[in-house]
Amino acid sequence: MDWTDAFPVRKSVPWRTLDTEALVVDVKGGLLYPLNSVGARIWDLCDGARSVDEIVGMLAAEFEAPEPTIRADAIEFIERLADAKLISIERRRTGESR
Amino acid sequence: MAGFVFRVAGLAATGRSWVEGRYGPFLSRRAPTFGVRVRPGERYRPGRTPRPSATWDGGRFALASHPSRAEGDLTRRRVAFRAGPGPALNPDLFRLLCSFLLMQKGGVFLHASAVVDGDRAWVFSGPSGSGKTTIAGLAGDRPVLNDETIALRPGRRGWQACATPFYGSGGPAMARVNERAPLRGLCFLEKADHFAHRRLSPAEAVARAFPEVMLPKRDGRVTERLLMTLAALTAAVPAWELAFAPDPALWGYLDGLD
Repeated sequence: MDWTDAFPVRKSVPWRTLDTEALVVDVKGGLLYPLNSVGARIWDLCDGARSVDEIVGMLAAEFEAPEPTIRADAIEFIERLADAKLISIERRRTGESR
Repeated sequence: MAGFVFRVAGLAATGRSWVEGRYGPFLSRRAPTFGVRVRPGERYRPGRTPRPSATWDGGRFALASHPSRAEGDLTRRRVAFRAGPGPALNPDLFRLLCSFLLMQKGGVFLHASAVVDGDRAWVFSGPSGSGKTTIAGLAGDRPVLNDETIALRPGRRGWQACATPFYGSGGPAMARVNERAPLRGLCFLEKADHFAHRRLSPAEAVARAFPEVMLPKRDGRVTERLLMTLAALTAAVPAWELAFAPDPALWGYLDGLD
């Protein structure tokens, strides 16, 4: 899949940041997802304004890990969020407004 | 209970007698804060048992816990119970009502036992089988607030653990006192043959407490409020993961938690 034009967008679900961690609630399932600091940062960046490529670039600048590792982990995490229906993935060209 | 006083109306003599027996230690002559009118009429419906639910729209709310349901008005401080077959004041629905009202006051009903040691309460939470009643049974002379359901409520002097009448496998003996005490700490239980503990971060504590809160979590406003409440609770009260052996030495071990 080409992630350049994929823009993850948080759905309107209850969530809260505590220190560097985050807690996200799947209301339909009645479940709470605790996110560690990296997951919380990814969740925070899924605002629809950034593509997955841009999110990976920001994470690579903020965390000390090889970029390919960050890319693989971030994409897997974003896919899991999408599978849980906590985010949606919008397709549009980079620079194109919503 | 937990600062609420209910006036229950509409009960037949047998229903009144049942309520007095079931909730005896919690009967009060204080002025009511909320009116409950029990009405028969919820007919038995064969089929799949629906999940408990709580929905809330402005001042109006609706609660359901099979086979009963309730509709209420927060501003008028009234709720109507449709009792259905079974107890006159279905404890599951009544507990759900108390939990919902406590949420409005910034508190929670937690699936937990609590024991007052000295002048402060330890709260022990976890799913069924984790040891809540076992710990209550180790209390000795220490007052047990309940072995299954504890109300946690913020106050001017910090968070309080309040007794409730909604007991668990320990039976009515676990709901004989209507007391409250300042909260010393929250422990999330694991049965073991030894004592061990780990301090939880606030986020970890919220994640552990969330499934133990006695409210249906399929309403966005309810869960939003719940997250806010648990964040405030875990910011103010220390929480641990606690492995314990069924030994009265537990109380000495708890004294050493930091």
